[in-house]
Order: sequence, then C-alpha cells, then structure tokens
Amino acid sequence: MSWVLALPIIIPFATAVLSFLFRKGPEGRWLSVVGSAGLLIASGILMAEVLAEGVIAAQMGQWAAPFGITLVADLLSAVMVVITGITGLAVSVYALADIDERKEALGYHALFQVLLAGVVGAFLTGDLFNLYVWFEVMLISSFGLLILGGQRVQLDGGIKYVTLNLVSTILFLAGVGLLYGMTGTLNMADLHGAVQQVENQGLLVVVAMMFMVAFGVKAAVFPLFFWLPASYHTPAFSVSAIFAGLLTKVGVYALIRTFTLIFTSDIAFTHTILLWVAGFTMVTGVLGAAAMNDFRRILSFHIVSQIGYMILGLALFTPLAIVGAVFYLVHHIIVKANLFLVAGVARRIAGSTELSSIGGLYKSAPVLAVLFLVPAFSLAGFPPLSGFWAKYVLVKASLDTEAYWIAGIALAVGLMTIFSMTKIWGAAFWTPHPSGLEPSLSTLPSRDRAALLLPIASLAVLTCIIGFFPEPFVAFAERSAAQLLDPTAYVAAVLGDVPMEATGLAQAEVLP
Amino acid sequence: MSHAGHLLFIIALLPFIGALVPGLMIRAGRTASAFFTAAPTALALVMLMILAPAVLRGEVIQAEIEWLPQLGLSASFFLDGLGLLFAGMILGMGLLITLYARFYLSSADPMGQFYTYLLLFQGAMLGIVISDNILLLLIFWELTSLSSFLLIGYWKHLPEGRQGARMALAVTGAGGLAMIGGMLLLGDIAGSYNLTDILQAGEAIRASEWYLPALILILLGAFTKSAQFPFHFWLPHAMAAPTPVSAYLHSATMVKAGVFLMARMWPVLAGTDAWFYIVATTGLVTMVLGALIALFKDDLKALLAFSTVSHLGLLTMLLGFGTEAAAVAAVFHIINHLTFKAALFMTAGIVDHETHTRDIKRLGGLRHLMPVTFLIGTVAALSMAGIPLFNGFLSKEMMLEEASHTDWFGSHYAVPVLATLGALLSVAYSFRFVAHVFLGPQRDDYPHTPHDPPFGMWAAPALLATLVIAIGVAPFLAEGIVTAAANAVTGADLHPHLKIWHGVTPALWMSVIAVAGGALLLMLHRPLDKGWIAAPRPEAKAIFDRLVAGIVALSRGITDSTHNGAISRYLAIFTVTAVALGYIAYAGSGLSAPTRDMLPVPPVIAVGWIMLIVSTISVVGMHHHRFRALVLIGIIGLSISAGFVYLSAPDLALTQISVETVTIMLLLLALHFLPKLTPKESSTGLKMRDGLIGLAAGGGVGALAYAFLMRDIDTISGFHVANSYEGGGGTNVVNVILVDFRGYDTYGEIIVLGIAGLLIYALMHALLDGPSARRLKNTDYSEDRSRDRHPLMMVVVTRVLMPIAMVVGLYIFLRGHNQPGGGFVAGLVVAIALLMQYMASGFAWTQERKRIEYHTLIGLGVVIAGLTGAGAWLAGQPFLTSAFTYIHLPPIEEFELATAMLFDLGVFLTVLGAVMLMLYSLSRIARFAGQTVNEGPMDYDPGEAAKDRDTED
Repeated sequence: MSWVLALPIIIPFATAVLSFLFRKGPEGRWLSVVGSAGLLIASGILMAEVLAEGVIAAQMGQWAAPFGITLVADLLSAVMVVITGITGLAVSVYALADIDERKEALGYHALFQVLLAGVVGAFLTGDLFNLYVWFEVMLISSFGLLILGGQRVQLDGGIKYVTLNLVSTILFLAGVGLLYGMTGTLNMADLHGAVQQVENQGLLVVVAMMFMVAFGVKAAVFPLFFWLPASYHTPAFSVSAIFAGLLTKVGVYALIRTFTLIFTSDIAFTHTILLWVAGFTMVTGVLGAAAMNDFRRILSFHIVSQIGYMILGLALFTPLAIVGAVFYLVHHIIVKANLFLVAGVARRIAGSTELSSIGGLYKSAPVLAVLFLVPAFSLAGFPPLSGFWAKYVLVKASLDTEAYWIAGIALAVGLMTIFSMTKIWGAAFWTPHPSGLEPSLSTLPSRDRAALLLPIASLAVLTCIIGFFPEPFVAFAERSAAQLLDPTAYVAAVLGDVPMEATGLAQAEVLP
Repeated sequence: MSHAGHLLFIIALLPFIGALVPGLMIRAGRTASAFFTAAPTALALVMLMILAPAVLRGEVIQAEIEWLPQLGLSASFFLDGLGLLFAGMILGMGLLITLYARFYLSSADPMGQFYTYLLLFQGAMLGIVISDNILLLLIFWELTSLSSFLLIGYWKHLPEGRQGARMALAVTGAGGLAMIGGMLLLGDIAGSYNLTDILQAGEAIRASEWYLPALILILLGAFTKSAQFPFHFWLPHAMAAPTPVSAYLHSATMVKAGVFLMARMWPVLAGTDAWFYIVATTGLVTMVLGALIALFKDDLKALLAFSTVSHLGLLTMLLGFGTEAAAVAAVFHIINHLTFKAALFMTAGIVDHETHTRDIKRLGGLRHLMPVTFLIGTVAALSMAGIPLFNGFLSKEMMLEEASHTDWFGSHYAVPVLATLGALLSVAYSFRFVAHVFLGPQRDDYPHTPHDPPFGMWAAPALLATLVIAIGVAPFLAEGIVTAAANAVTGADLHPHLKIWHGVTPALWMSVIAVAGGALLLMLHRPLDKGWIAAPRPEAKAIFDRLVAGIVALSRGITDSTHNGAISRYLAIFTVTAVALGYIAYAGSGLSAPTRDMLPVPPVIAVGWIMLIVSTISVVGMHHHRFRALVLIGIIGLSISAGFVYLSAPDLALTQISVETVTIMLLLLALHFLPKLTPKESSTGLKMRDGLIGLAAGGGVGALAYAFLMRDIDTISGFHVANSYEGGGGTNVVNVILVDFRGYDTYGEIIVLGIAGLLIYALMHALLDGPSARRLKNTDYSEDRSRDRHPLMMVVVTRVLMPIAMVVGLYIFLRGHNQPGGGFVAGLVVAIALLMQYMASGFAWTQERKRIEYHTLIGLGVVIAGLTGAGAWLAGQPFLTSAFTYIHLPPIEEFELATAMLFDLGVFLTVLGAVMLMLYSLSRIARFAGQTVNEGPMDYDPGEAAKDRDTED
C-alpha cells in the first residue's frame, strides 16, 4: 500500500534529479515528459486503489500514526493528484516548445518536477507540519520558476510573490505550533478527535483563523490575493499555466481539508466568514479582470474570482455545496491551465498578450479560436461545458440554503466573466491585427506546433467530456463530499482500529 | 420509449450532428456546403411531419434518457402543439435561410463556418421548444446565446458586428443567468424539473411565496431574449449581422424564444395580477415604443428591427392579458409575424445586395427596376400593416379585439388607445417601407444599379409571401396548427375559428383609425422626421455603453487603488486581516484558568530578554543602515540560540548558531554589492500606521503564546522519547525525529535548501545578463576597499582551522544520532570552514582547489537521502523505514550503523552543496564587478616576497 501513496511523490522527485543532471541537453526535457507521464500513471493507480478500497493510508517509516508522518488519500486527494498528473503532463509537453535552452540549463525541468512533487505531497499528506514542508517545497520551486529568465518584471513580481507567501507560511507555521500546543498532535486525523477535547474552544477558533488567513493567501482570496495578479503574468507561459492550474488550488484544498476535518467546532462563525470571503473574492477578482487589457492579466484576475466559487462551496457546508466545490476544483484546474496555454500560443504567433496590439486570430488561426472558445466559455459557465455544471451546483446549493444574495453574486459574476471572455475574444480573435499581420499557426515549426497544440486540444477535449457526460463526475464528487463531511473512514484509515486513548496520548503517560 | 420518441430524439440531435459537416464540406464547394446544411434540416422536418398528425390530434410525444439524475436533469423531450408549431417554424425557416444565404453571402465569406453556426443555432432553438426538462431548456437557452453570438459577429471585420454580438450576448446572457435562478426556484416549488410535472402544478406555484421572485427572474430571461423594453436595445445592433442571420434570428427564432417561454409557462405563471401588470404593460410599452422608433429609422434593417421589437411587444402583451382568446391571438400572430417579417428581411437583404445601400433616404423608385422584389416586399409590408386579405390583418384584429375589453388599473381606455396607437404607427412604417423604397420617382444615384436577383435568392421570400396571402385569404388553413398550439399554451380544449369578417366590431373601427392615421402620418413624415432628429431622446445603446464604461472605470478605480504595487501595503492588509479575524474569533469567548504558574525569572534571562527586545527595536530603527541592521540581526539570532541553550535544547542551539553564522556571512558578502543605505520611502504617518499594525500583530501572537504556555497539554512527544533508542537506534531524540520519525519532513526540507542554492545561482545569471550588470560593472570599489584584503594572519588562522573544523564536522555528524549534532549542523560547520577559506584567500585561489561541482553535491545529497528511503521498499517496508545494527571493529569501541545515518549523509551533502553554491554565485558577481583576481593565497605573501628577494640577489 505504501508505494501506491509514495510513488506519485517519488516519481517527480526522481525525475527532477535526473532532468537536473541532464539539464544541458535535450534529454532533460524528454525526461520531464516521461516523468510527468509516470506521475499520471501512478496517480491513476492511486485512484483505482482509492476507488476500490476507500480511504487508504501509509505510515512513513512504519511509525504508527500519530507518531510518524502519515500519507493518506481519500477521493478528494486522489482526484487532485490525478488532475495534477494531467496538467503536469500537458504542461511538460507544452514546455518542449515553450522553454528555451537557457532556462533549461538553469534547471527549469527540475524545478517544474519539484513543484509537481510539492503539490502532490500537499494533497497526500495526513500531517499538518508535513503540509507546511510541502508548502515550502512549492514556494521555493515556484519562486524559481517565476524568476527564471530574470527579466525585471519577473523579479518584481517574484519578490511580491515570495514575500507575501513566505509571510503566510510563517503564520501557518505559527498556527501549527499553537495547534500542537493545544492538542499535542500534528496528525490531521488525530486532530479531528483531539480538537473536540480542547477546553478553550475560543482559542481554537483563533488558531482556525490563523490557518484560514495563511491558506487564504495561498488560495488567493480577498483581501489576500495581491501577490497573484502581481506575478502570474510575468513568467513563461508553461509556468503561468501550471501556477494557474495548481498552486492556488493547493490553498483551496488545504482550506477544504482543514475546515472539514479539523475546524468544524464553530461553523456558524468560521464558515460565515468564509461565505463573506467567497463573495468578495468573486467580485473583486472579476472587477479586476474588467480593468485589465492584457490576455494573461485578465486570466490572472479570473483565477481569483473563480477561487471565490470554490470557497463558496466550502462555506455553505452542505453536501451539495461540497460537491460543487470539488467539481469546481477539478473543472477549473483543467480550464484555467488551458487558457494560459492558449495565451502562450497567441503570444507566439501574434506577438503579444496586450489585447490592443494583437488580433486576427479567428481568421488566420481558426483551430486556436475553437481551442480558446471551449475553455473560455466553460470558464464563463456556458452549457454544456464543465463550468456550467460547477456554477449550477453552487447556485443551487446557495438557493437551497436560502443564501439568495450569494447566489445572485455568483450569477452576476458569471455575467462579468462572459464579458471578460468576449473582450478577449473580440480583441484577440475577431478584430484584425493592428499591424495587418495574419498570425497563423503554420508559421510555427511543425514540432513546436504539435507540442503546443496537443496539450491544449487534449485539455479542451477533457473539458468537453466533463461537460457532456457530467454524471460520473458529479457522482464522484458526491462520494467525495460524503467522505469529507463524515471523516470517520478517513480517521479510521489513518489511526487504524485502535481507539484514540490507546495510542500516543495514553502511552505517553505510561512511559517515563 | 416509443418509436415516436426515438424520432423526437433524432430530430433534436440532427442539427448538432449535421453542424460538423458543412465546415468540412466547404472544400467541396459552396453549393455542396449548403446542401449538407439543408439535408439534416430537411430530414428533421420530414420526421417532424411524420409526428405532426398525432400531435394535431392532441397527443403528446415524449422521450427521455437520464443525463444527470442527481441534479434533476434528464435529456427528456416532448412534442405538443406549441412545440410542433415552433419546431416547424425553426426547421422550415432554416431551410429557406440556407437557400437564401447560399446566394446572399459573397465568395469572400467563409460559408462553411456560417452554416456550422447556423445549424448549431438551429439545434439550440429546436432544443428549447421541445425540452421537457427546464434545466435542459436552460442549457439550450444558453446555447442559443452562444451560437447567436457567433452568428451576429460573423462579419468580424465590422466593429459594429463585434459590438453588436457582444451586446447581444451580454444582455441575453444576463437574462439567461437570471433565468437559471428563476428556474431553480420554480423547480423547488414544484418539486420537479420536468415541464410536464410543473405544468400540472400551476395552482401550487402561484400560491407559493416564491412565486413572485421566480416569475420576475424567469421574465427577465424572456424579456431580454425577446427584446422587451427596457432590454430592447440589443436587437437593432444585432442587425450588423448578415441579413440571412437577421431574417432567421429576428423573425422565427432567437427573439421568439422569450415569447415561446412565456407561452410555455402560461398555464403555470399566468392568471395573476403580477403576471398581467408586468407582462402586459411591458408588452404594451414595447409595442408602442418600438413602432415609434421604427418609423424614424432610415436603415431598412433598423426599421425592421424596431418593428420586430414592436411586434414582440404585441405578442408579450397578448400573453400578458392571460385570457384564452388572447393566447389564441398570440399563437396566430406568431405564425403571421414569421411569414411577413422573414419575407421583409429577405427583401431588405435583396435591396441591400443589389443597390449596395440600406439607407431609405438614398432609395426610392425601385419598383420598375426590381418588380419581383417590389411585389414580394409589398405583400409582406401590407400584411405587417394589417390590411385585410393579408394574414397580418387577422391576428391584429384579434389583438385589438382583446385590447378593447381589457382594463388597466381601472382604466377602460389605456390599453385600447395605446394598442390602436401601436397599430397606427405600425401601418405608418409599413407603408413607409413600400413608399420610400419602391414607389416614387426612379433615381439615378443608387450606389449600384439594381435589378432583380437570381431565382434562388427570391424563391424563399416569394414562398413566404405566398403563405401570407394564402393564410390571409383562407385562414382556416392555419386553424389546425393554431388550435393545437393554443391548446398546448392554455391547457384548455379550444376550438377557435379564424375568420376574415367578424362584423362591425370595436376592433374594426380601431383598425380603420389605425390605417387612416398611419397613412396620414406617412404624409407628414418629412416634418416629423426633422422634429425627431432635433428632439433630444435617450439612446439606449449610449446608456448601455455608459453603463459598461462605468463598470470598467469603477473596476479600474478599485483595482488601481488597491493594487498599487507597494508590497508594504499588501503586507499591511495581510497583517490587519489576520489580527482582526483573530480578535473577532476570540472576542466574547472566555478562557479557562491557567493550570501552570509562572516560572521564576533569573536575572540572566531578564537581561537576555531585554537585549533581545532592544536589538529588535534597534533593527526597526536602524534598518536604513544595512550593515548595522545585519549586526543587530546577528545579535538577535545569538540571543535566541542562548535561549535554546538555557531551555535545554542543545540541538536547536547548535543549529541556530551555525545557521546564523552562515547566513550572516553570506549576507555580508552580498551587502558588498548593494548601496550602504536604503532610501527613506515612508512618510511619518505611514510609519505610525505600520508601527501600530506591527505592535498589534506582535502583541496578539505574544498573548496567544502566553495563553498556551500557561496551560498544560498532553502531547505525543512522550512516545518519541520512549522509542527513540529502541525503535530509531539513537539516543538523541531530536536527531531521530529529524532523520527517522519525521525523516519525510526533512527530506522535503533538504530539497527546499538545495533549490534555494540553485535559485541563487539562477538569479546570479539573471543579474549578470540583465540591466543591473552594467551598473555593477561601473561600480567603483576603490574607495571602500581594504588595502589588505587577504591578510596574512587570517589566511594562516583559517588554514589551521580548516582540518580542525573538518574533524569537528565529521564528529558532529557521526555522533548526531546519539548526541546533539547531525548531518544538518555538520554540513553547516564544514561549509563555514570552507567559507572562511574563501574569505581569507579570495575566490579565485580557492576555486582552483575545488574538486567537486556544487550542483552535483546537491543532487547527490538528494539522491542518497531518497535512495535510503526507497531502500526500505527492497526490504518490503514502507518508504523511509529505517534499520540499524551495531558493529564492533577491534580498535574502536562498538558503534552503530543505521540507515538513518545514510539519510543524514544526504542531508549533509545537500546542505554543504547549497551553501557553497550560494557562495559561488556571490563570488561570480564579485568577479564580474571587476574585483581583481588574486593568484596567490594572500595579498602579501612573505614566502613569495622572500623568493623575489632571492632572485634579485
């Protein structure tokens, strides 16, 4: 069992080391592709195992939970790992044509793989401090990817990115310390039981707020998202895409995990705050996008806005709402990463991402136009694409809980999203190119063309599949939501059948 | 599922499947492409006709497959009279439009795309009218918005086309979103999303407290789609589309979707005061306003667009009346409006195509040049005007009849008068269409000399004109379908008789007034037009544009003011948020009494504590002077280390001290390339603000820590202490935790450290390639450079220290498992030893004596640690399971070999590699900045000097 859980972390690490050793030749980039494919396969095995066995757990170093570190995968973790594998593979294929040799020689592929390992590690860990470690791994590798190339804007964005994220991880670490100071354990399943015995529940909520703020920064929610629009439009497009797809979602995942498993003692307070956060995040993000005139900047602000929807699902805290959050996560990662990949191709053939200085893509690159249309309208929530179901479920969940105002906001923000997407569509695709250029895909070398378009097309097809056949995905999200709302299976898988008293807390008193 | 049900499915799917073909077939030619568009449409129409007899008999054909049962969505269709009527119109018009477009579009237009969009749109429309599930209906509804967006913007080179498309999508999309809310509410009230169920639950729905919100939201969807006041403005701007699109969207399909929805929901929603006043009033206002604007439009298509708005208002009003007779009239008018309006659009398209203008003021006298077009246009226009023997007359009479006995807020006259006014204006603009385009003297200044188009282009409107007359003369022809549709709308069993002559009724008088008044108005058109142009009037498009611009400006304002790029502001917001949330969370909840007492504070500790505080404050005060700040940070680090020692945490102290040393040394080297002082950027007010925020945050964390420290807890650490030796093979529990209990964490952290090294290297590259490289090159270091950069004494001392430090490092590494120490500290100690060589003798000298690549060192460390962990698998154990054994080699006492030590070796190598790589990067910068490279170990080498003296001698 252990290797099923460890492989998705080991593979990218091993790939990182290998592609680092071969960073000066073409082998490095192909190793990265092979490694990502390996990760995808490993994630598939993990998913199969979780689907068959329920929640699975492995104790690192064979130290029984809660004394060592536990790896654990429930359906949410498993699907997040699978989606990481998918985006990872797509982006590493895209990178074949997107990343120049200079960046490769500085270790692009190694950083990329370490980032994947960090993301997967965060999804699979069952230990709060270990989650912090993965946050560090992600932070350092993403910072590296962000500044690789070293242009002034990159460094400027990178500094903001790393400072704000570092401060948030410090808060996270402080929170971990305080939580340990209250419960004496770091294992998340153990914490689920331990927090209920905490005498000063008021302090527990304070600590919960620290986690909320720390993860809120990672997830880029209002008013903590400033680092995202400051940095996401600067690096290589492969990097933007993987960031857009995965990074903030780790924050969302961490919020969902901790606020379903650990901090559920005062839902009336914590989840009401989350509801407000969700509303403001949706609105400020989409307003920010409306103010932008750059392909990537618009997309960046939309990440923020979309995060609001996922938080909304968590905040409402009904089974249907959690279904919506899970479904939204999966849908959004695919769509958002893909949009950034499309932006990269547009930049490559039309020469810019500034909307006023590009155009004509519809006429001369109709394939790209279709490939943009699918994720763009999915993001805007048009049926029958994946985004429609995601939004629909959340709106329905809001109405069911009589949170009418938030349903109204969710719908209105959807409208603004349409506005933004048609802004890009109108400027980049319909309007003729200002310099009379006819940007065509045929100007690309055929190898590059394949490497750029294949991932985009695959992700678009995936978006359509989720859209046209949502039933299995919703069914999956329902099972996942049930696991999240009733963590009994999760706790049992981690701590085993041994009741709480018989584990560490009791033994600690017996021993000298 | 019945055989008929299968057919219904195929009908629904055909356009979508067919949509894939024309885009591909365009390579085979335009006609082939058109043919493959017509084929699925015709096939679907034939199938519909097969189903028609049963529907006309009153049967309802149903088909259902599950799609998303969890959310109440199924792909279920049903065909009743209303569905049949609309499906027939959509498919029939689809065929005619396909034919017409084949001739209308020029060879420069990508026709394959056009037909693909057309079929997509047709499929979406068809879906709306035969959906049996309101969620499915919603999906098709949104699809019409999307596909019409592509159709309206088809001429993408025209800015009006792009704007029109975006506006249409924005308005109808907004309505669609409102409708999602409305439909969800409706489904909740009815307990089902199936239309057939909902249609049965009318009573319950109207009685529900959520009836009004649901009604308003659904009506928002319908009104925006059907261009009802005040959402009417998008429709005329959608006229930038090619004429076939306008003819299809604005006669038979898109805009009728809203009307269809109101008709569909009629049994459920109609019959209340709210329905009457909202729907009928909106319809009435739209009818009059649309007609008024239409009269003064000079663009042929704009005239028709506003007339469409007006007629949609008429239909809405009829449905709003809520009576069965009005519903019959509405159904009948839907058919009639389709025939004459589509014919008129096509006529306008022909005129535009032939004369190259649609400006009425540049036209006139075309009747001799284009007799066929004239005939078709006149027939259709007279029908629109409501002249007897044309079909428009029949439904208009029915409308006026209904209007004549409708009260509005107690007034008997409001509705009849306004309805007559609408009809009057309608007569006026219809006449104008004929008079100002075809009649009058022939002109010689047409942009292009017109003549009648080829048969293919006028065939479709001619067919429609024939229908206009056929129904107008023999209305019973339409009775079957009108009856079926009206029964479907009302849910009653009606047998309406469509007749030309009803006797002398109020409606007839109203008609007479309308025709006479309309003719009079046309005669006065010229002066009225002048007045209209001079008169100030609100332009809906301008208002919409201002609204959009306002939103954009607002967003820009908010975004620019919050995202000002200042990191200090972002951090302030972060801190305030954290503190505020923490405070709110705590406020109100009490604390249990502390279970611990304060420990006594020995004077030494008090002094240390004060020193810590003072130096922290000093850092804040002196941070402009970078060097001093660095020294103070060093003091803080040492104080903390001392604290660790005092609190019996030697491992932590050791680590802290070595980390401090390395960091400070590296920072010192880095400071060399930076300005000595940081600029003063914050105003006093800002400093006060930030100071307060900082105090609040620090105080909060301090209070929290205090609260925790004063209370007992149970922890799992007892287990670690107990099992460290037996399970982990070491007596130093801290080290065992690091490399065994929580080796997984450590593994992650060494990767972080390794990457940090790589990053600094990458940053150095960026720096040397970037704009700051020039500045670096031009830095003049001569001022502050020491004469004796590599002093003899230091060289000697570091050389002597080197082997000692190495041995100490090895010692710390080996004993780590049992005593304070370990790979991390050992790595740092060795790194410090090497660092000192660099500092003493300069980079170049030392670099020559380096044997291993630092990158490789990092990689090696990570690999060794990883393999050690993975090695456990070979032994069938989980990842990172450790093993240990005791070995006795004769000269030394018994010692222990644990796999964890191998892991620790990985840690050691990574730490060493990372630190050295950082140093290497810094020295690269130094060399780049023009520091002279010394060949020898020190500046003044006594040995060399002696040699020199010898050679001189």
